[in-house]
Amino acid sequence: MHANKPENFEQNVSEALSQPNLKAVIRRTTDKAEAKRAEAIANFPGFENARIQGQKVKDHTIKYMAHYLAEFEKNAKAQGAIIHWASNAEEASRKVLEICRKHEAKRITRSKSMLGEEIGLSHALDNADIDRVETDLAEHIIQLAGDPPSHIVWPAMHRSREDVIKLFRENHKDPTYSEEIIELVRSARRDLRTKFLTADIGISGSNFLLADSGSTCTVTNEGNAELTTTPPKVHIVTAGIEKLVPSMAHAVPLLRLLTRSATGGEITQYITFHNGPKRQGDVDGPEEYHIVLVDNGRTKMLSEGMEEMLRCIRCGACMNHCVVYKHIGGHAYGSVYPGPMGSVLTPHLNSLKVANKQTHACTLNGRCEEVCPVKIPLPKLLRSLRAKSWEKKYEPLTNRFFVKGFAFIAKHPALFQLFSSCGVIFMRMFSKKGWIRSMPMTSGWTRNRDLIEPGTQTFMQQYKKMKKAQK
Amino acid sequence: MTDKHEQATSRDKIFDAILRAAPTVVADLNTIQAEAAAILTESPNARPELLAEDAAEALMRRVEKGLVIGTSCESIPSLDQLPETVKGFLEQYALPAELKVQDKPSLQSLEWVDIDTDVDIHNDNTVGLCFAEYGVAETGSFVVHSNETMPVLLNFLPLYLIAVVPKSKILHYMDDYAAIANEIAAQGTTPRNMCLISGASGTTDIEGVLVQGAHGPEVLHLVIVEDQ
Amino acid sequence: MSDNHVNVGSASVQAIETVDITNKRVGLFVTCLVNTMRPTVGFAALDLLEQAGCNVEVPEHQSCCGQPAFNSGDDEGTRQIAYETIKQFEEFDYVVIPSGSCAGMIIKNFADLFEGQNEWQARAQALADKTYELLSFLVDVCNFVPQGVELEGTYTYHDSCSGYRSLGVYEQPRKMLSEVSGLEHKPLHGHSECCGFGGTFCVKYSDISDAIVEEKIENVLDTKVDYLLGGDMGCLMNMAGKLNREGHTEIKALHTAEVLADMATEILGDGHARK
Repeated sequence: MHANKPENFEQNVSEALSQPNLKAVIRRTTDKAEAKRAEAIANFPGFENARIQGQKVKDHTIKYMAHYLAEFEKNAKAQGAIIHWASNAEEASRKVLEICRKHEAKRITRSKSMLGEEIGLSHALDNADIDRVETDLAEHIIQLAGDPPSHIVWPAMHRSREDVIKLFRENHKDPTYSEEIIELVRSARRDLRTKFLTADIGISGSNFLLADSGSTCTVTNEGNAELTTTPPKVHIVTAGIEKLVPSMAHAVPLLRLLTRSATGGEITQYITFHNGPKRQGDVDGPEEYHIVLVDNGRTKMLSEGMEEMLRCIRCGACMNHCVVYKHIGGHAYGSVYPGPMGSVLTPHLNSLKVANKQTHACTLNGRCEEVCPVKIPLPKLLRSLRAKSWEKKYEPLTNRFFVKGFAFIAKHPALFQLFSSCGVIFMRMFSKKGWIRSMPMTSGWTRNRDLIEPGTQTFMQQYKKMKKAQK
Repeated sequence: MTDKHEQATSRDKIFDAILRAAPTVVADLNTIQAEAAAILTESPNARPELLAEDAAEALMRRVEKGLVIGTSCESIPSLDQLPETVKGFLEQYALPAELKVQDKPSLQSLEWVDIDTDVDIHNDNTVGLCFAEYGVAETGSFVVHSNETMPVLLNFLPLYLIAVVPKSKILHYMDDYAAIANEIAAQGTTPRNMCLISGASGTTDIEGVLVQGAHGPEVLHLVIVEDQ
Repeated sequence: MSDNHVNVGSASVQAIETVDITNKRVGLFVTCLVNTMRPTVGFAALDLLEQAGCNVEVPEHQSCCGQPAFNSGDDEGTRQIAYETIKQFEEFDYVVIPSGSCAGMIIKNFADLFEGQNEWQARAQALADKTYELLSFLVDVCNFVPQGVELEGTYTYHDSCSGYRSLGVYEQPRKMLSEVSGLEHKPLHGHSECCGFGGTFCVKYSDISDAIVEEKIENVLDTKVDYLLGGDMGCLMNMAGKLNREGHTEIKALHTAEVLADMATEILGDGHARK
């Protein structure tokens, strides 16, 4: 499967909507996530307080970001971590590759990290001829299929069991011939086990960076992060600088929010804090431990009034509850991050020029903000990006013409009423039995639905007449 | 390996950009710490209710209610009963009388009789037994720290895992564990890994169906030891 | 998703106040869609407000709340429109709008538009503070209880996103509709899920909008009701248009005000005096 480009959004959408099974495939996952989240929240009366607390933790850390980042660096170094800094995706990938080259790594294992995807690490490793083993089951599936991820929590949600059966039979050393999901999982377990134990380097992301201890933190349900980061001699962490929190105690409220919002579970099975390389006498663990701290647009967001987006803990609730995402799926967005959060992030990671259409593909219905565990005002941010692309004239000319024309008329109320009256006369020329099936300049509407017939005159015309008659 | 100059530049660039951005503020340490501490005072109203007042009781009820994936639990009066409990567990799952017992003197010195306690966990389908540092009632977790006698992999490679949890070390909330982690850090003895494990390994990555034993244990059994 | 009403997290529900409204001046902001597409809703709003004892005026020089420009990112264009709206309506004690969407625009977004222009920001905020969505105004401010209204049949209710999420309108229409004799409520699965209208969205991304409304009407059809009610013309036109295109003429989409003002039988949008 080819990776869609963000600038081809309209075409991506058409392709997505023409896939007959896509909606059912998406719903299988999002409906369950939605129902389970609702249940988890019903069982947690303090959830709203937790959201408020979670937001405060993130906002506080953002406010003092330079302080906490310096603290993190100092404390991680004290734990024996080697710290690297990367301004952009290319630099981040390059730094990871340099470490791989230094250790002459032939095989690396990776536990799922959206940041890794964001900085293009998969491609960089593949191009360097390093045997890259994705260990999260979903990432394993899409690696075999050659797909980009379609969701930030379930990257392989677009693949059916039948697809997985085929992929595993073709690729696993000792594949299953059963079609049971449990046997498929076993097949992956067998296949990945030897790879875990023979990798030269393990690469993980980090859900939190604890400033006061310099710890990184992995959160998984499968346990693949620990299997990725323990056996190899080298552990590399790649993390965005917005992952900072002051301390473990501050990560706790966010952990309470994260799983409930993501899958509707109460907590993930595995939460592991990593503090430097193995200690003297330790039975296992890496000898070298690197942390690559990545900016890639985050400080830009900070300086452009988008700091609320830096609260994001990557739970995916906004996409699970988005009516648009649920119909077009993740691939149509053409970005590592789809859905509402992706439409805000992508313009900063890529550019607004190529990713402004996504900001318009939203009804501003507010559901994403309502379910966001850290109360990110996603509709407000999406709208502010529309304002930016309007200023920069990224909108198609015809749109600008119509909106400007509309605004001109609407700022002159008398003209507006006149236009409304004429509009009614015009529309009534096309109506039949109370409905308009098609009419010039309204194909956007009438392509898919009928238009109700307007009254014989506008409200204002009728109202004035009525008032006159009363006199 | 990395160009020193670029290293300095990227770091400086990032810090410069942060300090230049309007939403960020520079303040003295006391102010920052006071604000950070104030946020934590909200925790008591922002966390779930426990199923019982007593932490051990709350943890056990959580497991018994099926809220901890793939996990069962039992309580024994003292560590001496552990081999008998393990024997029962192995029989329940029709497993051979062998497992990997953590190399911890208090476990190794128990009367294991005819149970082999040193299988190679690199093979699949094994049973592991570990001694947890802490338990957490809120999440049904046990906590392990990597050290000379605790390989991290012991908790991940076996298909069946038995975790011994000392009753006196069962905490109410994750916040309580965070406080302990702070104390450990103050002593300068933070281990490489601190793992909070809350259930068996699981995945919903194929058609959203939950399957246990994705990479790690399929079955988890907690043994709470009352006199520990 | 659940049909039970969940606590609306971030919505600030307007304070419930009971005031003597008989000597207060109420300005009715008709909205573009009501003005052109369905004047009946405007007359129904007028009628209901008068029944509730309000002294209603309809300023002649009103235009649009500015959402088409605002949601397209044209902030300057929106401000130009907003100046007119503020000037037209700031003299009233209350401004009432038969749309959650347009009311939400004034209440939630107007003041932010004038960041840095102190005088206008204050005027915009003052207007926002006295602006209400019609159905919530009738219940929350006027304590209005419809009397003697009859409509035989069943209905289901679509909560428009702006009314429900940004203004917390939920109980008010249901409470008033429960007073209509002969009318029975059937719950709608996904009652607060977006219908896919989204203003300019539905023409810009017509096919996505269509996929969304298709699902919406499936849920509506499952209720087997006679009437689909709501408080926003945009959503209603979208759902009605899709129902008609698919040949489902058995369900009539109406604005709640039309039912409450006993104007539900009118098919055309022309205004009529109360029977």
